Amino acid sequence: MTARLERVEWRAVGTTCIAGVTSGPSDGRRARAALAAARAEVEACEAELSRFRPESDLMRLNGAGGAWTAVGPRLLDTLRLALRAREDTGGRFDPTVLPALVAAGYDRSFELLEERPAASPGGWRAGAAIELDEPAGCVRLDPGASVDLGGIGKGYAATRALDAMFEAWPSLPGGLVDLGGDIAVRGATPEGGPWRIAVADPLRPGETAGMLLLGSGGVATSGRDRRRFGPNASLHHLIDPATGRPAEPGPLSVTVVATGAAEAEAHATALAISGPETAAAHVAAHPRISALYIPDRGDVLPLGNPPLAQTRFLVSVA
Amino acid sequence: MQRIWAVVLSVWAMLAIVAFLAWSRPPAAPVPQAAAQTLVVKTVNGKQQLVVAQPAVLGAAHATTATSAVPKP
Repeated sequence: MTARLERVEWRAVGTTCIAGVTSGPSDGRRARAALAAARAEVEACEAELSRFRPESDLMRLNGAGGAWTAVGPRLLDTLRLALRAREDTGGRFDPTVLPALVAAGYDRSFELLEERPAASPGGWRAGAAIELDEPAGCVRLDPGASVDLGGIGKGYAATRALDAMFEAWPSLPGGLVDLGGDIAVRGATPEGGPWRIAVADPLRPGETAGMLLLGSGGVATSGRDRRRFGPNASLHHLIDPATGRPAEPGPLSVTVVATGAAEAEAHATALAISGPETAAAHVAAHPRISALYIPDRGDVLPLGNPPLAQTRFLVSVA
Repeated sequence: MQRIWAVVLSVWAMLAIVAFLAWSRPPAAPVPQAAAQTLVVKTVNGKQQLVVAQPAVLGAAHATTATSAVPKP
């Protein structure tokens, strides 16, 4: 077996990014071209989707005061995905939730947060209108609304970067892109089997709670930050769009497998503010996704038959 | 008679060489195996099951999940 995983690692989109391709001994030049294409695509996505670049298309849109704004194709694509995800999740994923998070008290870096009561989210309301004029490449937001595409944007960038690798090297045997946990894979691994994605155990840092085996698709994880803030450290960063306040129910973390990393990210966000029954019903209603739901206490809950590397079932205990 | 002794000696010589080689070569090191992992999982219908995942069979992970970072205000 001479194939190996040729990979590159760099910092972008506020995290560590990894791209890898299954490459043979004579594939060096093509592998380097594919990895360069992945990196360039992530940079292009960040230039359009970042909330931390004043010149990005997203920031121009957020600052447009409700006016139609010409945007790039990546922002248009991501907003289309976000709107579909908002509908698919019954509003539990909402890209316009950021003002509510700031109102809840998360208005500065964690180290600087004060012990003050959470404010009500004021005039904020969930489901602000996002209108797309796709032929003209223009978007309009509700006046006063602002969009944050942090998570779904990373998932979108991972899938786009993977596509870019296959465009740069059409006969590429297989590839992987991992943008800080938003993971997209396709094709063969160097060993010939499926891609192995370890699910980090939120209760035991450094250990894994399971191994996913994936031929192609996307994986994303969402969960409540173990760093709490506010009175009696009662608040966290996952806002329930229905209330505008930190969500009450939800797991410590939930990992979703979907056809694409952006879809996985949106559904993971929705499941992260859902109790186990709601989460199970959600996954049952969406046969294209599966999940591994890890609560604060109790058992790991696989939903919708995630592709876990379960070699065998030993015994039923209940 | 000479021929018989030659055969006997060559057989013994060959056995001695085989024995020497077997003695001098270190035994193959056992392949290190990561510990199998046992999970208690609950199926959608509420039934609990013990699952054993064997990382040694699977090999190392190509990637590891990570929770999406907290959005910066």
